Amino acid sequence: MKKLVFIPAWNEENSIEAVISDAREHVPGADIMVVDDGSTDRTAALARRAGALVASLPFNQGVGAAHQTAYIFALRHGYEICGQLDGDGQHPASEVARLIEEVEKGADLAVGSRFAGNVNPDIPEYRSTFARRIGQRMFSLLVSTSTRQTFTDTTSGMRALNEKAMHLFADRYSSEFAEVESLQQAVRAGLVVKEVPVHMLAREHGRSFIGPLTSAYYIFKTLIVLLIGQLRPRQVEE
Amino acid sequence: MNLTAMTRLLAESEPVVRLTPQARILAAVLAIAFMLLILDLIRRDKLLERYSIVWFLLGIGMLLGAIFPVALEWLAKAMGVRDVTIALFSVTLLILLALSLNFSVIASRQSKQITRLAQQSAIDGVEEQTEEVEGRDR
Repeated sequence: MKKLVFIPAWNEENSIEAVISDAREHVPGADIMVVDDGSTDRTAALARRAGALVASLPFNQGVGAAHQTAYIFALRHGYEICGQLDGDGQHPASEVARLIEEVEKGADLAVGSRFAGNVNPDIPEYRSTFARRIGQRMFSLLVSTSTRQTFTDTTSGMRALNEKAMHLFADRYSSEFAEVESLQQAVRAGLVVKEVPVHMLAREHGRSFIGPLTSAYYIFKTLIVLLIGQLRPRQVEE
Repeated sequence: MNLTAMTRLLAESEPVVRLTPQARILAAVLAIAFMLLILDLIRRDKLLERYSIVWFLLGIGMLLGAIFPVALEWLAKAMGVRDVTIALFSVTLLILLALSLNFSVIASRQSKQITRLAQQSAIDGVEEQTEEVEGRDR
């Protein structure tokens, strides 16, 4: 099977090389592509030097557009399976390899979850702020309700998918709420979506600042996005 | 005000507040200036014809309203409003609302097109890269 592992990256010059070599080591036989989402640092140059394919968006378009770029590319070039992991080093490639296995076993979309496999779900092994945890809980509740399937880590960007799912997302993919909305979209289109417990690392470089207000705003926005998603006509693949 | 007076007021169907001659002249002058501005913008390639037609129609409507106040009074009567200026304001507001919504739709479409263009350019870049690598291997 022709496999592509892609890494969406926006100004990740500190971690991109390590992520590429990690992916190469743990997903042998896959082509590695960095989707550089309008980085202004040396992300693209370093990725190219590390031997990865580099798709450079001319300006920052958001994570959704970056993912979609990879799906369109993969479909055009006959890749059957896509694995994806973040460029900041939070996603161990060995875990992505497990997601790819799930897709080989028959899932259309496999999503890595930080919270699915913990013995005690109240203490996630992944370090996170209180506001973020509440936000995550709300997202899970909203997505699980709208899809009638349990999702514990709806914002996870660690995924693997087959051509069927790529077709769905190449056609239409949310630009702002890519991860959350795509789950709903996939379930509604009748795809087999599997959540797989994975281990993730704390950020190596940089931090994301998400306070309580931003969290509340995201939750509200997600609610609207999901409600509208429920009203959209179903996309049917094949 | 007693009940009889109120009933008489409600029954009054003719608009009572009309545009003054000064207001009509001002409106006509503004309408003509507005249409000239539109023409100039098209002439200097600042505005696509496609987007100018609707503005031009608006200018013509303004001019007609100024020249034939009967039209406005008829409009007010049809809306059940006794004040011509209020009818004018409401209609103008509605038109502007519809126009700005229309522009949001256009902006959304263009932003989607820009994303597709950016993605295509990114993919072209990868294809060039793979061709280079293949060329080197050969």
